[in-house]
Amino acid sequence: MEFIWKIGGEAGFGIMGSGILFGKVFTRTGYHAHVYSEYPSLIRGGHNTTQVRISDAPVHNPKKTCNLLVALNKFAVEAHMNEITERGGILYDGDEIDLSDLSLPQNVVLYKVPLLSIAKQAGGEVIMRNTVAMGATLALLDYPFSHLEELIKEVFARKGEHVIDVNIRAAKGGYDYIIDNYNASEYPFSFEPKPQVKRCLMTGNEAIGAGAIQAGLKMYCAYPMTPASSILHYVAKHEYDHNIVVKHTEDEIAAVNMAIGGAYAGVRTMTATSGGGFALMTEAIGLAALSETPLVMAIAQRVGPSTGMPTWTEQADLKFVLNASQGDFLRVVLAPGDIQEAYELTQHAFNLAEKYQIPVMILSDKFLSESTTSADIDQLNKIPIQRGKLIVKDMEPLAQKEKFKRYEYTDDGVSPRPIPGIIGGEHVATSYEHWENSFSTEHFETRVKMVQKRAKKIDELVKDLKPPALHGPEDADLTLVCWGSHKPIVFEAVDLLNDAGVKVNALHFSYIHPIPPKAIEMLKSAKRLVIVENNSTAQFGGYLKEHAGVEFAGSILRFDGRPLFAEEVFEHAKLILDGKEKDVAVYDKERVEYYSAKLVGE
Amino acid sequence: MVDIMDLTTAEKPQWCPGCGNYGILIAVKNALANLGRESHNVAVVSGIGCSGKDSHYIRTYGFEGLHGRVLPVATGIKLANRKLTVIGMGGDGDGYGIGLNHLIHSCRRNLDITYIVHNNEIYGLTTGQVSPTSMKGMKTKSTPHGVIEMPIHPLALAISSDATFVARGYTGNIQHLTKLVEEAISHKGFALVDVLQVCPSWNKVNTPQWFKERIYDMNQAGHDPSDKLRAYEKALEDVMTGYEKVPIGVFYRTERSTYGDELPQIKDAELIEHDIMNVDMSKTLAEHI
Repeated sequence: MEFIWKIGGEAGFGIMGSGILFGKVFTRTGYHAHVYSEYPSLIRGGHNTTQVRISDAPVHNPKKTCNLLVALNKFAVEAHMNEITERGGILYDGDEIDLSDLSLPQNVVLYKVPLLSIAKQAGGEVIMRNTVAMGATLALLDYPFSHLEELIKEVFARKGEHVIDVNIRAAKGGYDYIIDNYNASEYPFSFEPKPQVKRCLMTGNEAIGAGAIQAGLKMYCAYPMTPASSILHYVAKHEYDHNIVVKHTEDEIAAVNMAIGGAYAGVRTMTATSGGGFALMTEAIGLAALSETPLVMAIAQRVGPSTGMPTWTEQADLKFVLNASQGDFLRVVLAPGDIQEAYELTQHAFNLAEKYQIPVMILSDKFLSESTTSADIDQLNKIPIQRGKLIVKDMEPLAQKEKFKRYEYTDDGVSPRPIPGIIGGEHVATSYEHWENSFSTEHFETRVKMVQKRAKKIDELVKDLKPPALHGPEDADLTLVCWGSHKPIVFEAVDLLNDAGVKVNALHFSYIHPIPPKAIEMLKSAKRLVIVENNSTAQFGGYLKEHAGVEFAGSILRFDGRPLFAEEVFEHAKLILDGKEKDVAVYDKERVEYYSAKLVGE
Repeated sequence: MVDIMDLTTAEKPQWCPGCGNYGILIAVKNALANLGRESHNVAVVSGIGCSGKDSHYIRTYGFEGLHGRVLPVATGIKLANRKLTVIGMGGDGDGYGIGLNHLIHSCRRNLDITYIVHNNEIYGLTTGQVSPTSMKGMKTKSTPHGVIEMPIHPLALAISSDATFVARGYTGNIQHLTKLVEEAISHKGFALVDVLQVCPSWNKVNTPQWFKERIYDMNQAGHDPSDKLRAYEKALEDVMTGYEKVPIGVFYRTERSTYGDELPQIKDAELIEHDIMNVDMSKTLAEHI
C-alpha cells in the first residue's frame, strides 16, 4: 500500500515543513515515509514542491507520479497536473483559484476546499493553508484526525497554547470540510494506523551530523553552503547537548584548517561543504595527507560547475574529490546510499581517518542530504570507536635537542601520534617532506621512503572497506552499477524489472575509493554492465574502467538537476537490454521553470 | 624552571646572515623560558615563508601548515585544548596578504593565542617580491617600477578589529622584543606582535640604518596602552609622519572575555578531555521520531 502526496506553491509558505509534518503522522503510526523537495535558490517566490511517499515498506526515493496534488496556487496545477495518477485528486482552494480554463487530465477528482477561509476562520493566516490541506487529506484517507492533533501540540509546544489551538482548528476545519462535502470513501486510498515503532524521520545531512556526534565529534568547523549547510545547523543545534564546539568560520579555508588544527591537538573534528567550498579546501587536503593528520570532510554535491543550480542535485564532483589537491597521496572516499549508511559511514570515516591518519571524504548530494527518510532507530548502528596509534599518555621525556619520531617507518606505514601536552612527544606536524623526526628534508632516499611509508597504509586499509551491495538475482542478464545516493532508485528499478520478468541486478558502491578488492571480482563476473549516474560523463564508470579494467555496455545518465527516477531506470535498462539504446541522457521535458515559476517551451 | 636548552633543537637555523628571524627566534625562546612554559605544553604554529621554519627550530610541539593559514590551525589547536600555550608565527605576506582575513577574525574572536608577525616588508623565500607592508614606491621583482598601493597598517587594522593586545617590536632590540613577547603570551586573549625586521637579501630600503634613525620606544615616551583612540593614532604615526618616526612597544591592551570563556561546552573540561567512547544518542535520535 502506497500513497504519494505532493504539495506545491511559491517559496515562503511553509511547504517543505508541511511535508515533514505530514510524513511524521504516518511514521508515528507504523508506516514508512520519504519526503522529497524541489525548490529554487530563492527565499520567497519561485516554485516549490514537496512530495511525501507513504508506504508499508521502507521507502528511500520519490516517484514521478502523485496520488493527490495540493495546489496552493494555480501554477502548481499547471505544472503538475500530468503527474497525477488515475482517480487521483487535486486539492485546491476553489475560492482563490479558477481551473476552468485548464484542460485537466481525465479521471482526476477535484477537491475544492476553501483553504484560506478555513485558515482565517480558525484565527490563522495564509501560511496555514498547508495545515488545512493536511487535515483535508487525512479525511480523504479515512485516517483518524487525532494523530495530526497530537503532532501539532508537540511541534508548536514552544509557541504556546494559542498557536496550537489555531493550528488544530485549521487542520480540523479542513478535515471536517471533506467529511461534510465529499464522500471520502470514493477516494481510492485509505489507511489505518498501525502499532507504533521507534521510527525516526531524518535527512541525509541529519544522519551525517548525528553519525558524527555518535562518533565523538568535538569540533565542527564550516562555512554555509547549500546543500551542506543543514549539517552545520544540526550540529550547532546540539552543541550544548553533546558539548561540541561549532564554529561558523570566516571562510572554507579557515574551516578546514581549523578542523586540521583541532585534529592535530587530538579531538575528532569535521568540516562539510559543497563543490565550491570544497574547491577552496583542496589545498588543505594535501596538508592533512602530508602531515598525516586525520581529516573528515563531507561534501554535499549540487549542480556545477561554478554556482550552477545551487538547490538541485548532481553526482558530478566525484573526480574532483578523488583528485583534489596536488601530489600523490592516499585518501578514502565514501558515498552513503541512504540515511542508515550515512549514519554508519560517517562514524566509520572518523575511525579510518584516525586509524590511518589520512583525509576521508563523505560524498553526498542534494538528493540524499536534503531528502527526509524514515528509519527504525534500532537500524541506526553505533560503530565502535577506533583511534589507531594516538598517544594520549605521557612518555619518557625526550633528551635535549631530541624530537619524537612522529613519522617513524613502521610495518603498516602508520606512525605513533602523540598530541600536544603529552610529555616526550614533541614534534612538528609539517606540510614539508620530512625525516622520521619531522624535520624538513630534501634527501632523495628519505623522500622515496616517506612516500612509500604513507602509501603502504593501503594494505591494512583495504581490509576495512566493504564490497558493493548486490541487489536482485545473482545470475542476471544485465547489472546496473551505481554509487552513493542512487542506491534506492536503482534498487527499486531492479525490483520493477524483475517483477516484469527481466533478469537484472544492481551493484551499489558506498566505498568508492580505494576500490574494495572484492568489487573488481564482482564487476568482472557480471554478464553486461550498465553504469547509472547523476552526471553527464559517467565519472564513476570512467573510474571503474581505469581501476577495475571493466567495460560498460551502456550508460543511464542524468544531469538536469534532478535525481534519476526508478521508472526511468526501469524503462531505459529494458531498452538497453533489447539493444535499442546504449548511452542515454535522461532529462525531464516537464515545462515548469522553478526559478521564476512559469511554463516554458512546448 | 625551563632551560632554554629544553627549547632548542638539534637542527641549526638556516636563514641568511643578518636575518631578523634569528632575533625573533631567540626572543620567543627566551620569553617561553622566562615564563616557565614547558616544551610539551607549547604549540608553535607556522605558515610558509622564511618564518615558516620557526616551528622546526623551537623544540616544542609544532605545526607547519599552509601559506597564510597559521591562525585557523592555531585556533583549532587552542579550542581543542586551552591548557596549551599556542603561538602563531608568520610573515607579512602570510599574515597581512594571503591570510589577512584570518587576522581580522582572530582579533574579533579573541582566543588566547599569541601571533608574531615577522614583518620585513618584502617576500623573502620567493626571492624578493612586494609585500602588503612594502612602502609605496618600493621597487621589487614584482613591482620593478615601484609599488603603487599604500601599505597595510596592521596595527591600526588590529585595533579597529577589537584585538585586545597590539604591540610592535624590532629585531634590533632583542631585550625589548623578548619583554613584548612575554607580555603577549601572558595576555589572556588574542595578542598581535608585529615585529619589524630587516631582510638583508631583498629589502634594500628598510635597512638597519633606516630603522635606527626612526624607531623609538613609545611606552617610554609616555604612551598609555589603555587609550584605544590614542593607540589607533600611534598605529598610523609612521605613515602620518612620512616615516620620520616609527614607534615600537605596546600600542593597545585591554581585557575582554576570550572566545573560549563564552563556551559552556568547555567550561568544565577541555575538548580533548571529553569522553567520546560512550556518546549517548538516545535523546538526540528520539527527537526525530
